[in-house]
Amino acid sequence: MKLRIKSAPHCDREELRTLLIDAADELAGENSCLLEPKLPWDGHPILLADAEGHPVLVSFDLADSQAALVSGLHATDQLAVALPWVNQVYATLQQRQKAPHLVVVSSEPPPGGEAVLRSGSGAGLTIFSCRVLSVNGDTGILLEPLDGGAPAARAAATTLAHSTQPTVPDVAPPAPRAAETVPSLSDEERAYFQQL
Amino acid sequence: MTSQLNPAWQRRAVSSDHLAKISARFLSDGPRPEQTTDGCQVIPFLLDHPDQRWITGELCEVLTQRGQRSLSCELQEGGDGASLEDVQDALLRQGADKQLCLLPANSPATIQACRFDHVVLLVPASLDAVLLAYERIKLLSQQAAPDIGIVMVGPRDQHAAWRYFRKLAVGTLRFLDIPLLNLGFLPQQVMPEHSPANHHRHNYLTRISERLLRSEFYCRCRPGTTTQARLAR
Repeated sequence: MKLRIKSAPHCDREELRTLLIDAADELAGENSCLLEPKLPWDGHPILLADAEGHPVLVSFDLADSQAALVSGLHATDQLAVALPWVNQVYATLQQRQKAPHLVVVSSEPPPGGEAVLRSGSGAGLTIFSCRVLSVNGDTGILLEPLDGGAPAARAAATTLAHSTQPTVPDVAPPAPRAAETVPSLSDEERAYFQQL
Repeated sequence: MTSQLNPAWQRRAVSSDHLAKISARFLSDGPRPEQTTDGCQVIPFLLDHPDQRWITGELCEVLTQRGQRSLSCELQEGGDGASLEDVQDALLRQGADKQLCLLPANSPATIQACRFDHVVLLVPASLDAVLLAYERIKLLSQQAAPDIGIVMVGPRDQHAAWRYFRKLAVGTLRFLDIPLLNLGFLPQQVMPEHSPANHHRHNYLTRISERLLRSEFYCRCRPGTTTQARLAR
């Protein structure tokens, strides 16, 4: 089948919400589930639960990344305060009272977002850049995690949905490996290892 | 919309003998095969970083407790490539009355230089580490690719370990046509940083040792160079 892919000229907010809910596995990891498609808070974020029972807030605004980040941070605060109530309402969270993760989706990274990820202080934050595409006339989205320019930050971005527990120190790439000769990878190989 | 097979599971090239290649690597529940080769069998480990050296040390202790006289040796890296025969000769000369020798190495170049035909990769449970492991396997495959076993280090649980292993194994199979052997995992909660002395760690290491022995995952001799191996206890 021939694929005709081009940038979509327009995607309204509610259509994008539907597409993001469809892409919940990419945003919050496999086996995640939808708790609330439209929270009645600023920015109306989406509330998901990942496979481990962490609440995951998805704040999005294609045109205004800063608004997506700020609204998401507000909602994260509100959710953290309301955790006992939220845990009672949503059985999926299993009364574990786990801290929420924030996923910010916009067409461009929010100002300073990359620096936050690079500094490692954004352990509970993942930023995705999002492009709306038209594929054979159907609308779809392309999500790419912002890696912050550092392997540790990239790991944090790709594994955010799973745990807030401290990472094992030996996960960090050590200095001696820098001298290793590594074979070049094709685009297909790189794309395959972008996400778990 | 009809569902399609995830491209990750689609092989780049079809190989009719592939199933046989994989099935031969399934672990059997049958009795452990006898070691047919005299002398010390060598199991090289390619570490993700030097701090993982405790794993080979403790694995060595577990193997010894299971009746396999084992030792862990330091292979001096960066020198002239010693062959497996050289390593075994050096062990004999040292009077090491051992059945198994675990050789931790930091660089794939060492594995290539020694022309080991088996190697165990210790892979931290992160996407970056999985990518690095893939790059190393690709590097190793540029010569005669050794049989490769994987131990996942530091996943949250068995499910996470399986997901990281599967990512790596599907990638090597799809792009390099290299099957990997899953030798087990060491979960995050048994790492020394979390618990200095841990009974569960011993259990996980025991499982890994069982898989190593049952699958006879140790090196066979190959013709090599005549340089002298340099080993240090």
